[in-house]
Amino acid sequence: MANEISFAELRSIAELSGLKLSEDELQRLLPGVNRSRTQGAELRDLMTDNLEPASAFSTQKV
Amino acid sequence: MTSNELCYLTLTEAAAGIRRKDFSPFELTKACLERIDSIDGKLHSFITITADVAFQQAQEAERALLSGMGRGPLHGIPIALKDLYATKGIRTTCHSAVLEHWIPVDDATAVTKLRAAGTILLGKLGMHEFAFGGPSVDAPFPAVRNPWNTAHIPGGSSSGSGAALAAGFCYGALGSDTGGSIRTPSSHCGVVGIKPTYGRVSRYGVIPLSWSLDHAGPMARSVEDCALLLHAIAGYDSKDPASANIPVTDFHIGLKDGIKGLRVGVPRTHWFDENKGTDPETETVFDEALKVLGNLGATIVEIDGRPFSTARKANQTMLVAEAYAFHEKHLQNTPEKFGSSVRRRLLEGAFLSAADYITAQRARTALNEQIRANFSRVDVFATPSAPRPPEAFESMDPNEQNLRPSFTNPFNLTGLPAISVPCGFTEGNLPVGLQIVARPFEEPVVLRTAYAYEQATEWHKRRPPL
Repeated sequence: MANEISFAELRSIAELSGLKLSEDELQRLLPGVNRSRTQGAELRDLMTDNLEPASAFSTQKV
Repeated sequence: MTSNELCYLTLTEAAAGIRRKDFSPFELTKACLERIDSIDGKLHSFITITADVAFQQAQEAERALLSGMGRGPLHGIPIALKDLYATKGIRTTCHSAVLEHWIPVDDATAVTKLRAAGTILLGKLGMHEFAFGGPSVDAPFPAVRNPWNTAHIPGGSSSGSGAALAAGFCYGALGSDTGGSIRTPSSHCGVVGIKPTYGRVSRYGVIPLSWSLDHAGPMARSVEDCALLLHAIAGYDSKDPASANIPVTDFHIGLKDGIKGLRVGVPRTHWFDENKGTDPETETVFDEALKVLGNLGATIVEIDGRPFSTARKANQTMLVAEAYAFHEKHLQNTPEKFGSSVRRRLLEGAFLSAADYITAQRARTALNEQIRANFSRVDVFATPSAPRPPEAFESMDPNEQNLRPSFTNPFNLTGLPAISVPCGFTEGNLPVGLQIVARPFEEPVVLRTAYAYEQATEWHKRRPPL
């Protein structure tokens, strides 16, 4: 599936993120992580060139 | 009036009774605290009970009311707060070991406003840990149970707020809602809860789950009670960057005007049957509720459910990413302090990319336009508040929850005002809620529709078998 990551990639990202997770915990995390990443990827079907993020910066707000 | 009857008055009835001097704020407070003491051992709706504070505030309210210094309908009314509202000098835990001993030095703005209105604080209520994950079975405080059947979940994350109201422990409560956390426990516990428009109620002092999706709002045993509470806590707050500088109208005005001619959009197609779909019993109860709205003069219009269904994906991506960002330091340094359910959900955010998050934000722009476009054809949306009745703790599968449609989180993504009002029961005597949603800042329309439905039915009068 698009955007899914492997167990090795998951472990690598966890280390880069400063997270100390056991192998067991990483195994339990993987399905949820890939579900999140997959549903995020499905949103790309909605994208058009002129679509801006909803979190727009405004100089009028301080 | 028996103590049981006293505790189950609506907030509006209790306020009227105080004005008539049928009973005093002290008597109401004492009745609530005695009921909590005798029953909450099996529900665990409270984390902290502030009896000393409550009795002191009750005495102050009595003195003020007797000397003609009444502050309005909430003066002398016992309430309780979800334990993520900061309370000056009172422990605020978020139902977590991470904040188990935290005592804030300031009140949340909504708490300040309720204090100013003269409410009496009974205590702080249990919740899903940090308003995320599921019932917190390995947190330092027990998971809240459903008053209708203690083997079942009360819904979350404002679980203590829903349970305490259904159990007759308080007359009003505050919850918070990032994906359905006011409306789901309201539905599962048979009470009323409104998530106002994003920006309508200040989030200052409400511990964040997801800055761009969090909403603060009231819960109570009737629609009119919610209108009173919302009026007290709504309004611009410079301490909240998302606060909307839009005047607050009196939410009572027009409440009883009825719904003749109202166009109700039902986004059923391509949504109610998503993945594992809506529980058939829930959908039957919902269809009966639509008939009631029709009998009251509303027109029911079927609309396309696809953008509502897709909204869940953007909502979840943003929520998980922002929640991880907020908790990152604690997850790196003291992960063992989080319960297993919330830790697993929070950690998912570490593995999303910046592009995933920005894509969700861009999808928010598109979905907001698509969903709001329906308001050219209808005045409100109606759905069940939850796709199925509250599950038993024993059979609960958090993974399966993610496979059902969510009827609540599209309205966090779009920031639209949404209410849950009791609309029936399953054969197992578990409550079902009806959700009504309107345009931004049209809380009066949401409240008027829910009030008309509530008054045409008897569901809100049922009490759990405690």
